[in-house]
Formats: sequence, C-alpha cells, structure tokens
Amino acid sequence: MKKTGMSMILALVLMLSALTACSGNENKSASETPGGQSVSSSEASPSPDNVASGGEAVTLRFALWDSNQAKGLRKMADEFEGANPGIKINMEVTGWSDYWTMLEASATGGSLPDVFWMHSNEIYRYASNGMLLDLTDRINASDKVDLSKFPEGLVKIYNFEGKQYAVPKDFDTIGLWYNKTLFDQANLKYPDESWTWDDLYNAAKVLTKDGVYGFLAALHNQEGYYNFIYQNGGTVITEDKRSGYDDPKTIEALEFYVNFVREGLSPQVFGDAERADLIANGKVAMGLFGSWNLTGFTENEFMAKNFDVAVLPKKVKQASIYNGLGYAIAHNTKHPEEAWKFVEYLGSKEGQERQAELGIAISAYEGAANLWVSSNPTFNIQKFVDMVQYGVIRPYSNTTIIWEDKVNEALKPAFTGDMSVEEAAKNAAKVMNESLAEEK
Amino acid sequence: MSRGPYKKVSLSQRSEWYWGWFLIAPTMVGLIVLNIIPIFQTLYLSFFKSGDFGRGNIYVGLDNYRKLLNDPQVWHAVGNTLLYALMVVPTGIALAMITAVLLNRNIKGRVLYRTIYFIPVVAVPAAVTMVWRWLYNSHYGLINYLLSRLNFSTVNWTTDPDIALASIALIGIWSTVGYNMVLLLAGLQEIPKTYYEASEIDGAGKIRQFFVITLPLITPTLFFVVVTSMIQALQVFDVIYMMIDVTNPAYERSVSLVYLFYNNSFKYLNKGYGSAIVMLLLVIIMIVTVIQVKAQRKWVYYMKEG
Repeated sequence: MKKTGMSMILALVLMLSALTACSGNENKSASETPGGQSVSSSEASPSPDNVASGGEAVTLRFALWDSNQAKGLRKMADEFEGANPGIKINMEVTGWSDYWTMLEASATGGSLPDVFWMHSNEIYRYASNGMLLDLTDRINASDKVDLSKFPEGLVKIYNFEGKQYAVPKDFDTIGLWYNKTLFDQANLKYPDESWTWDDLYNAAKVLTKDGVYGFLAALHNQEGYYNFIYQNGGTVITEDKRSGYDDPKTIEALEFYVNFVREGLSPQVFGDAERADLIANGKVAMGLFGSWNLTGFTENEFMAKNFDVAVLPKKVKQASIYNGLGYAIAHNTKHPEEAWKFVEYLGSKEGQERQAELGIAISAYEGAANLWVSSNPTFNIQKFVDMVQYGVIRPYSNTTIIWEDKVNEALKPAFTGDMSVEEAAKNAAKVMNESLAEEK
Repeated sequence: MSRGPYKKVSLSQRSEWYWGWFLIAPTMVGLIVLNIIPIFQTLYLSFFKSGDFGRGNIYVGLDNYRKLLNDPQVWHAVGNTLLYALMVVPTGIALAMITAVLLNRNIKGRVLYRTIYFIPVVAVPAAVTMVWRWLYNSHYGLINYLLSRLNFSTVNWTTDPDIALASIALIGIWSTVGYNMVLLLAGLQEIPKTYYEASEIDGAGKIRQFFVITLPLITPTLFFVVVTSMIQALQVFDVIYMMIDVTNPAYERSVSLVYLFYNNSFKYLNKGYGSAIVMLLLVIIMIVTVIQVKAQRKWVYYMKEG
C-alpha cells in the first residue's frame, strides 16, 4: 500500500512537471501609457555623440520576419552603425507565423524589440492597445521623413485615430511567374498585359504533362485566390465590414481557381513553404508569387535560368493584391531617440533609395521603385511596379489574422473536393462574419 | 495551541526536519513556481474572455467550457490524442523491451547499438521533424521516390487524413524507443543473475526465462515507463505542429489537444478558451493516470527488499 501511495505521488509529480501550461501573464504595465516617451527620453542620452565619446554603445533590437531581406538590411544596418557610432543594431529574424507569436508574447511580457516590422493584419491590435510609440510629432519635426512622398493607401494603413504608428517601408504586389523554357517548348506566347483568365486556363492545360503541373493553385490568399476575387469584381470584405465570401462574384472566382486543382492542372498544395519548393523544383509551370520572393528566386539557379514574371491575367478588370510593411517602435523602448534615428534613416529618401538599390524590397518612396527595378537584371521586375496602378490593398480589418485563418480552414474542403466551392465559400462567409461580429 | 508536542521532539530530530526541508526546497520551489502556480493561473484564465496582450480580461463564468462541450473540433482532438497514445505507447514499449533484452546480452558492439538506439532521444525534435518532413514529402520525398521506383503507388503521408496521424505516430515511436530502452536496461540489470542460473539448472529455456523471470521482475520499471510514455503521448505537440498546418486537409484528423490549445491561444488569440482546452487535457491525463496507478496492483510485482 505504501508503495502505491508513493507511486501515486510520483505519477502526479511527473504529470505536473510535464504540464507546463501557458500562464496568463498579468501585465503589470497598465500604468504605462503609449505617450510615455517623454519619461523615457530623459534616460536616453541627449545626443548620440556624447554616447560615442562616453564609449557606451546603445544596442537596438530590430525584429523582422523575412530572412530573404535580412542580408540586405544587415548591410544597411552596418552602414547606419558606421554613420552613427554609439548605436548598434541587433537583428532578430523569426519566420512569418512565429514572428507574431513572438511579438505577442514579448508585448505581453513588456519586452518588445525596439524597432520591428508591422503589417496591415496586426496594426490595429498593436496600435489600439498602446503597444507602439506614437510617431506623429517626430515625423512632423523631421526633415528626412516626408509622408507625402509615400502612397497614401500605405500611409493610411498605419494611421490609427489620426496618429501615425509606423513609417512605410516598402510595397509589394503579386506577379505571375512562368517557366519560359516550357512555354518555348510548347510554342506558347509568354503571358503579357493582354492575358485573360481563358489564356491562363488554356496555357495551364497545354503545359500540364510529363509530371509537371500547368499552374499552382494553392490554398493561399494573398499569393492566390484574393487576386482572382478582385479581378472578377468580387470582394473579401465589404465597406461595412461584412464578409464578401457569399458574393456570387467571389464564389465564381473561387470556382475558377479551385477548378485548376479539380482538373488536375494544379497539385493540391496546402502548406505555405511547399509552394516555393514546387516552383523552384520545376514541378509547376506557372504560379503566383509576391515581389518579396525576388531574392530567393534570383539565388535559385534553376529559376534564374528558366523563369520570368508577368502581370496577372484579367477578367472583368486587372488587379493584384498590394500591401506594404511599416517600421514601428515599441511604446516602452528604453532608447526612443536612437530607435527613431534608425527608423528615420530607413524612411528617409536616402534609406529608401538604398533599400531599393540593394534589391531588398520595392521602396515605397516616390521614385525609388525605379532603382529597385534596375537592381535585378535577371527578371522583368518592372511588372511588379506596373501593377501598382490597379493594385488592391490587401483586405484587412481589426481582427484580420483570426478570420483569415478560419476562412482558409473553411475553404479547405473545396480544394480537396470534399465539398462544393459554393458551400465552402458560404461556410467561410459564416465563420468570417462571426469573427467580425466580435470586433469592437 | 499547546506547546506539548514540540517538547517531545528532540533537538536532533528537529534539525533533521530542517535539513529535510532544506534539501527538497529547490525542487519544491521550482515545482511550485513553474508548475503549480501556472496550473492555477490557467484554471483562473479559463473563466475569462482574454483581452489583447493580457489586458482587459472579461469574466465569462463557464462560457468557455460550454463552448468547449459543443465544439466538434475539441472532440476530434480528444479522439486524435487518445488514438495517438494508443498507437505509440504499446508499440513503442514493446520495441523498447525487445531491444533492451537483446542489448542486455553479451553481443558484439553492444555499446555501439545502445548509442544508435539512443541517438533519436538526443536529437532536437524540431530538427528531427524537418528531416522526416523531407522523407514524407509527397512530391519529391525519399519514401515516395523509393515507392515509385518499386512501382508502388505513392502515398500522401502528411496530407491524407487516413494516414497523417499514423505517420506522426511513427516518428513518436522512433524517437521514444531509445529512452525507454535505457530505462528498461537499467531495470534488467537489477535482476539478480542467480535466478537465471537456478532456472537453467531446472531446465528452463530462454523464452520461458523471459516470461517467468524477466517480465515479472521488470514490471516496476515497466510501470514507470508506461505511465510516463502515456503522459508524454497525450501531450504530443511539436511534431504535429511542424508537420500539419491549419490548412492541411488532415488537420481535423490529426490535431492534438495541445496543438488545438496552441492554435486557440496564440493563433486565434483566445487564451481563455485555450486554457479551458488545457484543463480538459489535465482532467483526461489525471483520469488515465489514476486508472493506471490503481491497476498496477494487478500486474506490478515488487521484489521484497532486503
């Protein structure tokens, strides 16, 4: 009996020690207001020159999610360090989905990175909860950052209740990547501005052979069905924040898109990473990929040799999903002056042109995009810039991340063929509306 | 109230108590801070609709639990988790037992074999899963490549709802066999050699020796291995997390309770509901463990001490 008691205790202890559940980190910083910069600025040294002579370097944590851009940005950070002795930039790269988990946890725990990338999906949550430093006054006082030089739509994304919480970094559009070699072999004309959905479909049919799929219709929104929805005049989210998935035009676009999978012209692809693997291994002849993939695609010898990029095909109109990132600063950074100095550089004409020159991303600053185009002779990347004129800002609301994932879950059975597209789309509309209803 | 009992305790006994408490303090403090307090915090959180960044939690009473009972995904996850445990635990322990018995004998290269079997335990789960993901890849994975070379039809190892959980269980078995083997080896070496010598004189063969001597005397270790493996299996997360995206068609049929908790807490930012899911898991593990502890009287045999 004694033995039983002992082992019972042992088992319980094991159970407890293994069950390290997440604890709701009660935030102690309720008193910390977003406008707390005046308090913390007294901690920061008055001028960086003093810091340098004092020999005490300030290290800024800079978080981002795209390892493709990290190399170029490191170069820019090195140059910034050279011009600003006393400031060190420590880059922290985390993959896209883990990035937001990391950021959420560090925001809750009060240890946000000093400078980090912001996205339209998440800006509302971070801005409305006072997690970001209000940059309005700093921007107004700056002679380097001029928001009027950036596209208005991108600036607006990061404006919450009249305050600017991030400086635009870049913009991106989605292009149609195609295998030139396979097009030549099949005697097909390369995709161009005149291409319609029918051309895309016919080409996919011709190109599907010998283990290669003609087109990649993956379960992916921004680099997938979103584009088709807007080309068909449908919508993902309406002006009055309702789901657009029950709009007949949206459903029609989804049907066209899913049909590639149904007819075997596209593989069934559900994972995010798998998509780029497929195109880089020559398993698909055409696919939709955003401009941010450029570095990775250029480094891939097979793609550099065989692929090129064109504008997206049209239906009732031309459209390409268009979005832009921003640089934000943590509300409770210990070094607001240094952090701003870095962000100011990144958002200045000089910084934006450098970013474009290095081919890191399409700089949002007026005129800088041309430098980006000439940074890459491998592909015809002018097309990405051309598409801005009819670009549709990536649909977002206050809880985008939640409904986006739930919509993908709901659309999944349409791709596997377990449900009709219409039924799946109606389910998607339902879960999305439920989620939107919970928005304040 | 009365100071009576204290007087009866001798000084040396008291110092022994103090020493006792002092020596277990590090473990106790760790256990309380890292495990017991979070459990109560999780329980507390499960009655709230959580606000962003841990602020503005709204008390909702039993709403999360009510939602949980009506959420088919939760019950899928319960089924998947139990099914996973059933696939991994018996097979894994049987394999561990066989390798332990084989490697307990004097065979050539014993140390080398033991090391090989133990390597999966030392390897980082995330790295291991990456390698398995490559092997399983339906378009150019090694397994499907070999199958196609042998003219078999290829299999969607990680996206076919009927197969994905078994693919994951295979990794689970592969990565735990080594650890359990080492524990069982230690148990086997506790068994006095004299028993085997005596039974040999009585004419018992190897097989009979295994069932009559080895198996009964290894039961205390086996019990420990079963309980820990079971708890570990019920908490499966990392492999599924890395292998199965939410968009994967096999998601419904392979999501485990911990993965569902993770998705609700960190993806859908509903920590209150996530906490309720974890409490459900805690209850399930408790029930399973209590049953095991109760049942041990029927099959675990402790050698008389001294």
